[in-house]
Amino acid sequence: MTGWLLAAPAVAVMALGFMLPVLVLARISLNRTDDLGAMQPDLGLATYDKLLSDPFTTELSISTLGLAAGSAALAVALALPVALTIRAAPPRWRGPLALAAVAPLLVSGTARVIGWLAILGDEGLINMLLGALGLPEQRLINNWTGVRIGLTESLMPYAVLVLLAGLGRLDPRLDEAAATLGAGRTRTFLRVTLPLAAPALAAAFALTLVLGISAFITPRLMGGGRVFVVATEIFDLALETVDWPAAAALAMLLLLALGALLALRSALPERGR
Amino acid sequence: MDDHLVLERLTKRFGANPPAVDGLSLAVPRGALLALLGPSGCGKTTTLRLVAGLERADAGRVVVGGRDVTGLPPEARNMGVVFQSYALFPHMSAAANVGFGLEARGLPRAERNTRIAEALTMVGLSDLADRKPRALSGGQQQRVALARALAIRPELLLLDEPLSALDAQLRDGVREEIRALQRRLGTTAVFVTHDQAEALAMADLVAVMDRGQLEQCGTPEDLFERPATPFVAGFVGRTSRFAAEVEAPGRVRAKGHVLEAEGTPPRGPVQVFIRPHRIRLGGEGQIPARVATRTYEGATALVSLDTSLGLLQAEVPADLGLREGDTLFATLPPAALRVFPA
Repeated sequence: MTGWLLAAPAVAVMALGFMLPVLVLARISLNRTDDLGAMQPDLGLATYDKLLSDPFTTELSISTLGLAAGSAALAVALALPVALTIRAAPPRWRGPLALAAVAPLLVSGTARVIGWLAILGDEGLINMLLGALGLPEQRLINNWTGVRIGLTESLMPYAVLVLLAGLGRLDPRLDEAAATLGAGRTRTFLRVTLPLAAPALAAAFALTLVLGISAFITPRLMGGGRVFVVATEIFDLALETVDWPAAAALAMLLLLALGALLALRSALPERGR
Repeated sequence: MDDHLVLERLTKRFGANPPAVDGLSLAVPRGALLALLGPSGCGKTTTLRLVAGLERADAGRVVVGGRDVTGLPPEARNMGVVFQSYALFPHMSAAANVGFGLEARGLPRAERNTRIAEALTMVGLSDLADRKPRALSGGQQQRVALARALAIRPELLLLDEPLSALDAQLRDGVREEIRALQRRLGTTAVFVTHDQAEALAMADLVAVMDRGQLEQCGTPEDLFERPATPFVAGFVGRTSRFAAEVEAPGRVRAKGHVLEAEGTPPRGPVQVFIRPHRIRLGGEGQIPARVATRTYEGATALVSLDTSLGLLQAEVPADLGLREGDTLFATLPPAALRVFPA
């Protein structure tokens, strides 16, 4: 009983801040848009029909999933050495190092993008270096490459956090035992570290995948209007085209897809230990 | 017998602290079992890790079979290490754990399997080969760790507090098993322990360490009967001590009692040590004593004697009929006294 009572404020906030808007959204998605582009009250699935039969929706889903999966995989792969280094550091360094690894979360997405502009832009750091070396200029921003880089970076702190929490079973003594048995670093990593890190890697990938699919700021600001994903399309439908039912329906489809992904993840049996 | 493991002035510092191992020199004959004994923080585990290559020495050498291995990483040393926590790979079966080192050596599968079976049979676990460590008891995990360390046919077997994680009832059995196995295979072995009874019972040689330095290395009898330093006298076995002054070589004076003793320094203040079983009690003798407490220990009883020298512990037959409050005399035979300059 006390537990429920203590949970009540959180439940209230969730109900008001999340459940209610989602319900409103669901309701809007059942309306329909007339030929003049005005929203007409309705209780039908016409908007969903239109979206699902539109090849652009499929294309959008595939590119969104591809972007998110690629960035999530890269973020987890890059986060693993970071997490392993933090775990292996002397205890008094672990806190500061972990904080440094997740510090990007403390910076607003917009500020991060401006930072990337300075590095990846046509006049940015990398192109200056390439120019100085006599190499051709690369377009690293306002396209898919830029979004991939930015999204990977923005997902990394989450991956590090999940890995740090999930690598508990990795006893440094196991590395030592492997070494005394004659295993070099590569063998130890492949046969001991990686298998034991697998559940944490899967958890980190699942979280960053979901975050990547719903990412908006990075594709919007680093894509230069050339990168279309589901989240930017919802934004465009709502604020540019002002087709609220379509925007709402697409948002509902995204929510369903993410929910299905998370359900799939928790339904999968934990890898044999 | 040639010396299989030689440590020469081995030193290891961690940060600005006093050295964890400080100029340690030791030699272990081939086939012998050496115990590194000392209180926690004395550097015994660090010494073992230096031998295994898990720590890098700041100075000194580790020589194994005449070869200087000081600069070699652990994977190039061929040492079988049994960790205190066993450090079994939790995602591998017992057999895969034992086979890990053989795989790293690139042995063909058939030979690997033969040696895995051999090692598991050796520790009596052949029917549990497919179990994961989680599904094994503490004692069984310990045997898997031992089998894993022995399967690589190591140059040396190194054990870090091998019995400390086991229940008291299991300990004696496992102790004897490890000893028997080590004897049978003729493997030179070093094990770390803080338990002096364990060290005395198992080892051919015991090296007593304190604050990173070697206090004494000798057979269990040496340590017990002829301790080289006050620390060893106090750490190994039960002992009582009192302060005295050398009157003349072979004679000390303590609180008005003049006692004959062997091996005294020519003059000056001294600490005198005596083992409980060497004190003789009777109706007459050197020092008046009163029984302060009596602890029944089965065949013997340990009595704490209140004397003018302070409390002295004496071990007597349990059926002697001494009771708390009894007064009597204690005699300290000259050969039983160990005298060290204070």
